[in-house]
Amino acid sequence: MDRRDFLKRSGAAVAGASGVLSLPVLSSCTAEETEVASNLRGTKWGMVIDLNRCREDCTECMDACRQENNVAYHGDRRWDVHWIRKATLHPKDESAGLEEKEVLLMCNQCDNPPCAQVCPVQATYKRLDGIVVVDHHRCIGCRYCMIACPYNARFFNWKENPDWPNKGYPRRSHGVAESCHFCSHLLDGGGRPACVEACERSGARALVFGDLNDPESEVSQLVAAGGAKRIREDFGTRPKVYYLGL
Amino acid sequence: MDVQFAKIEGRSVSYWVTVGLLAAATLAGFIATLIMNNHGLYLSGMTNRVPWGLQISMAIFYIGLSAGSLVVSGLYGVFGKMEYKPFARIAAYLAMLFLIAGLLSIFTDQGRIDRVFTKPFTFVNPTSMFSINPALYSGHIMICVLYLWALFKEKGTLTKITSLVVVLWAIGTHTGTGAIFGFVPRELYNSALLPPSFVAAALSSGAALMILVIVGLSRATQRHLDDELIIWMGRRLLSIFIVVTFYVLLIENAHRAYLAYSHEAGLFFLFGGTHSFMFWVGLIFIGCVVPAVLLFIKKTGTSVPWTVFASVLVVVGVLFERFLIVIPGLIHPPELFPGWEIADAVIWEGVVNYAISPLEILQTMGVIGAIGFAFVVGLKVMPLAPTEARVLPAK
Repeated sequence: MDRRDFLKRSGAAVAGASGVLSLPVLSSCTAEETEVASNLRGTKWGMVIDLNRCREDCTECMDACRQENNVAYHGDRRWDVHWIRKATLHPKDESAGLEEKEVLLMCNQCDNPPCAQVCPVQATYKRLDGIVVVDHHRCIGCRYCMIACPYNARFFNWKENPDWPNKGYPRRSHGVAESCHFCSHLLDGGGRPACVEACERSGARALVFGDLNDPESEVSQLVAAGGAKRIREDFGTRPKVYYLGL
Repeated sequence: MDVQFAKIEGRSVSYWVTVGLLAAATLAGFIATLIMNNHGLYLSGMTNRVPWGLQISMAIFYIGLSAGSLVVSGLYGVFGKMEYKPFARIAAYLAMLFLIAGLLSIFTDQGRIDRVFTKPFTFVNPTSMFSINPALYSGHIMICVLYLWALFKEKGTLTKITSLVVVLWAIGTHTGTGAIFGFVPRELYNSALLPPSFVAAALSSGAALMILVIVGLSRATQRHLDDELIIWMGRRLLSIFIVVTFYVLLIENAHRAYLAYSHEAGLFFLFGGTHSFMFWVGLIFIGCVVPAVLLFIKKTGTSVPWTVFASVLVVVGVLFERFLIVIPGLIHPPELFPGWEIADAVIWEGVVNYAISPLEILQTMGVIGAIGFAFVVGLKVMPLAPTEARVLPAK
């Protein structure tokens, strides 16, 4: 291959690549549009986590989530995936007399999700009802969403998942990112998220799920009553997961 | 006086040994990528808390190194310093290779490599820096190809225009690369200064690498090179770039450590572990202070060997800088509950660490091998290097 050939070929390859890249810029919709559409659709799913009701040694919600969504567990903290997890908070200033407390951490289902903003292939996007979902067939595994999520709520399939307990829901191949999606597959069938069901079955009723746009719903009333907090509201991400007793 | 260009002979044993070693490194990187692609990225040192590692750090390092072409084109295309035109071809070719190296590093780091050639084209997200940057990079490569063609064909006007476009586009490329990190809501990333500081460090490393390549080539091929050309680049250009890089780094870190919002993270960056050692010793001392002093002192600054030494230090320093852009911001936990510390639980919650795995090192060697191979073979098949480089008499 001589010089002329080389230049010709590399030129053609690059021209093709950048041409295609610049084409579909107009195809995506903005966050505002989805928000409007979401209001039109009328639902905005949200959750209230009442930490006062959450029991210390209970793992029902986490187990149910893992079972329902085939969430990968390898027994290694570097690669285990946790859509909902428990963490213990220690006060930094011990003299204030504050006590340790436990919190449940999960995807905050931001109304303004940074993960969807940075996803180069729109594999992570906000549905019309406000749920942030991942299309596992589109994700290229760049992990930019994990970088952008200020809550460390997104996980990656570093390893092939050996278990597949719920054959009614797909398990993910290694190489794609994922996070909680409010069990959107159950919602679409008229059900509720697996963690909420499990929490109710256990009698704790710490997880309350519902439509934030419906003023009569339990979540809306709990939020309206005051005292419900969201994690780091100053990020401007507008989470749809609220906490009581934080 | 016309500048003459010639292919290198490339018949010596050392040439073929170099080509062989680079090809072997490429093969090793290819195999490492295949293994990781088949078994999963857990074979890298990355974890759920540190989802980006060596590959991304190296990618932005290569992108920064491509600024050498920006420097050379800027010198003769914008500021009319025609004595630097002999290096335009080699600079443009290297810039193209480094951009390819950057794309290759990002490409091999993906979880689903099989989808990279389809999904990003069918589902572009214009708000993602990861959509914008590949367009900037591939556009940059395309411009480099056009520029090289104009240089080979001695097209006067087109060369002039493309040299200017290369300069402007390169600034866009480096700004965009900095924005991948600067536009993300993490205490140690989120910074409007990151794109400009990326440009500054890119200019430093690009100019330093140009010095190394020009001197190295003239020594290896025994072609004449006026010392003045190198000394001017070192003393008048590289030294300034280093000072600007140092200045931007100073402001960025002072700002972080000063604001209550990022005070704790800023102190963690400056004094919190191994990365702080890399910052103070690798970046500030080896990468900025020592080379700046060497270049500013007349005795060392006017000596080619010392200038070359200073350039090596700058490239090493910027390599640390790139690593420090990516890693500390990830190993430091976000402060989800101000005033509270999250205890270690089912995942690593506090400060974590990142250890580079052997396969990642092989991948990096592979990328360096691939572009090194393309470089030495390019020198043999294309007249890239000038037969001699002299300071022209002023007209």
